[in-house]
Order: sequence, then C-alpha cells, then structure tokens
Amino acid sequence: MGLDAASLLQVLVWGLVVGSIYVLLATGLTLIFGVMKLVNFAHGELMMWGAFLTILIAQSTGVNPYVAMIGSTAAVGLLGVAIERLGFRPLRGTAKINEIFLSIALILVLQNALARFFVPYFRENAQIRTPYATEYFSLGLVNLRYDFVILLAVAWAITFGLWFVLFHTAPGRDVRATSQNRAAALLMGIDVRRIDMLCFGIGSALAALAGSLYGVVNPFSPYAGTIPAIKAFAVIILGGLGSVPGAVLGGLLYGVVESFGTFFLGGSWRDAIAFVLLIVVLMVRPQGIFREGA
Amino acid sequence: MPRGLDLLAVDDLQVGYGKIQVLWGVSLRLAAGETVAVVGSNGAGKTTLLRSIAGLLPPVAGRVVFRDRVLGRLPAHEIARRGLALVPEGRELFPWMSVHENLLLGGRLCAERLRVAENLEWVYGLFPVLRERRRQSASTLSGGEQQMLAIARALMSNPSVLMLDEPSTGLSPRVVESIFEVIAGLAQRGATILLVEQNVYLALAVADRAYVLERGRLTLEGTGQELIEHAAVRQAYLGVAEG
Repeated sequence: MGLDAASLLQVLVWGLVVGSIYVLLATGLTLIFGVMKLVNFAHGELMMWGAFLTILIAQSTGVNPYVAMIGSTAAVGLLGVAIERLGFRPLRGTAKINEIFLSIALILVLQNALARFFVPYFRENAQIRTPYATEYFSLGLVNLRYDFVILLAVAWAITFGLWFVLFHTAPGRDVRATSQNRAAALLMGIDVRRIDMLCFGIGSALAALAGSLYGVVNPFSPYAGTIPAIKAFAVIILGGLGSVPGAVLGGLLYGVVESFGTFFLGGSWRDAIAFVLLIVVLMVRPQGIFREGA
Repeated sequence: MPRGLDLLAVDDLQVGYGKIQVLWGVSLRLAAGETVAVVGSNGAGKTTLLRSIAGLLPPVAGRVVFRDRVLGRLPAHEIARRGLALVPEGRELFPWMSVHENLLLGGRLCAERLRVAENLEWVYGLFPVLRERRRQSASTLSGGEQQMLAIARALMSNPSVLMLDEPSTGLSPRVVESIFEVIAGLAQRGATILLVEQNVYLALAVADRAYVLERGRLTLEGTGQELIEHAAVRQAYLGVAEG
C-alpha cells in the first residue's frame, strides 16, 4: 500500500476496530482491578471462551452470531462469578502471591479445557462467520465492512452503557466507592464482597464479548487470548490502574497506535508496540493518564 | 445505670492484630442520648476499640451488644446498616468523588429518598463550607473540611450511635474548636456519641462520662468533670503538675 489518503483512512478504521475490542477487554480488567486490587492473568482465556461459545451457540442453534454473543457473554459472566466465589474470595486477606498463582492456574485450566473441545472441531484456528462477511458500505475513499460497523456499534453501546451505570446510578456509585476506599465503603453499608462478585462477573462478560468480536475479525485458537490480554494490561497501565475512563481512552489510543505502527513498521512489530508503550509509560508517567479509581 | 437503657454495651472485649493483642478485656456502656469519651495516649488502643465495634476488626474474645442484640462477627456493612456509624481515623473519604457524592454514599442506608434530601440540608446547615464545596472532589479539601465531610457523611444515615475517632487530629485549634462546637451541639440535641480523643481536655469538656484507656485496659471511669479534677488524669494527660 502506498501512502495515500485512502490507505491511511483504512488503517485508521482498523485501528478504531481493534481499539474498540481493547477498550472492552481493558475495561473489564480495570473494573476487576479497581474493586479487588487483583490482576486476573486469565482474562485472555475468558476472552477466548467467549469467542468459542459464540461459534458453538451460533452453529448449534443457527442463530445470527451477534445474537449468539448475548448467550456466550452471559455464560462467561456467570463463569466469572463462580471463579470469584469459589476461587478468589477464599484467598482474600491471604498473601497476594496466592491470587497470582490462582490466576496463572486459571490460564492453564481454561486454555486446556478449551483446547479439549476446540481442537476436534477446528484443528488450529476458527473464525466467527457472520452473514455480512462480504458486504461493504462504500464511503467514497474507503469501503467499510458491515461487520466493522456492527462491531463498533456493539462495543460502544456497551461501553457507554457501563459508563452511564458507573457514573450516574446508585449501584455504580457503590462500585466506585468500593474501588476508592474499601473500608469506608463497608462503613457506608456496602456489601463489598457482593461488589467483588458483580465486578468479576461483569469484567469476565466484557472479556467474552471482546473475544467474540475479535473472533469476527480475526482467526483465533484456544491460545490466542494471551497476547490481547497482555495488551490490555499495557492499556490499563497507560490509562491508570482501576480507571474506567483511562481504559476507554487508553484502549482506543492503543488500537490506533498499533494499527499505524504496524502499517509503517511492518507486521512483525505489531505485538512489540505494546511493550514499547508499556516501558515508555512506566518511565514517563507511571500513574497513567488518569488516577486510580476515577 | 440499669442495663436495659444501654444502647451499646461492650463486654470484656479482647482484640489484636495477629499475635499482638491490643485490647485486654474492655467493658463499657453507652446509654441513649449520652456522650461518652474514651481518652488515652497514643497507642492505648482507642482506634482499635472503635474499629472493632464497627466490625472492621473482629474481636478475639468478648462481645458487643447493640440495641439488645449481640453483633458477634457480623460484617461491618451489616453493623452500619443497624445504625452504628464510625467516623474513622484519617477520615477515609472517597477521594475522587465530589463532596456531594460522598454525602450521598453516607445517605445510602436511608430508606426514603426524601430523607436523603432532608439530611443533605441538615448537614449542609451544620457545615456551610461543605455546601460551597459541594462539587469539589474530596481530595481537594483542606484537612478541616475533610473532617467535616467525614462527620457529615456519617450523619447522613441518621445513625443511632455516632462514633468519632480522633476528630481533632492534625487540625488547627480554630478548626478543632468549630468541629467540637458541632459535636457539642449534636450531643445537646440528644445524639448518642462515643468519642475517642487524644486531646483529653476537649473530650472531657463535651462528654457526659468518660473512660481512660491505658495500654489496652480501661483504668478510670467518671463524669467529665470528675476526670478533669482527677489527680492522675491531670498529671498524665492535662500536663498539670500536682503540688
């Protein structure tokens, strides 16, 4: 591709598309970190479970994959609730290292359990096929895939919905309070363990939705969640740990930077960009764009 | 004092952090409408006592009875729901929320919305500076304003017992004076207050009764006036040499 306006615009669109997926992924991660001060390293595996369940539901029932995503998102959300209740809750108050071990164990368990079901059907890679895969809008300079438009609409509807709940409703205020000061939240009568469970569930559901949308635009395997999850870590450090606005802004920014970086430097640089960004942010502004808990 | 009138009774409370025991069998009573102070030097266990009553620190032994019900090992949010409010040491505000939102969180236990609006008016009346700062985030307030917000936030739920942990810490004498004026006003209007203070003179002045806590044990009890006149208290806490 040459350096003409059309290809630059195409690169920008792709950046916004992957950026929106990173926004969902990072928002879930930062929500969990905010209230529980816990990094779930298995976030990328929950993501791939979402993508896989979407295919499974779509193929077995014949519904539109975008409808199937509702089911897979809810299922992984419930899985998240179970993981919090049975896994992380009993570890609260013990050494932090236990949580780290548990989330690493979850990577192995979730990845291999997925491979067990996945490999017989798909061998190496799968992709979510939508009925719109070959349809385009023509916008003068660029052709815009229907799927891109739907993906952007879904991702941003969910993001703004979550934003509204967090910043303009009483339950959202309870979540922010728990994130900002757990002891004080207890003193206000907030059942902080319920908030933990809720946020872990919502965070997992967001990962599943991100995975499903990822599966529409990328082929994936049971192991494909690792790299996007690492990028989501970079994004929440960029945006400020625990900050939802930071995850949204950071995710979008990251998607666009990655897209242009790949365009100018070549595909082999794509995954290195996250780490370069991470190192630069940690050197220049370790607290991220926004402060924790906002 | 007849037992039935006690709103809050602490019986032989023993509390510790890990292997270090801080409270060694503390018993105290608080009747409805009473203001009781617990005074003592730094490290005596005053904060531990209040945190334990509030449920933030489970006791090793002993019990807390509130409105004739044993709190046992109820989680802190359940204790708050029953009407016991703590203004914690160090204020513990929600730093990146506005003054208004901090107060709404304080009022989240109110059953009716109308009550929240009434209480907002009430606490803004008690601390007019908070009304001016209502849209500012809590982290931008001065120390005195933060203490006022912490007290106002606790009052938002109309608690039956208000526990105050060192409200004078780190504040200028003028600010302390205005905060204690509000506390004295609440006490006069019949609020039930358990006040923990390092500033013994100030605490004894507003309290109906007081206890002296020394190294995890209550060593003296009496009316505020009695303790102010007590030789040991004068010497140890008020800096008055006898002779």
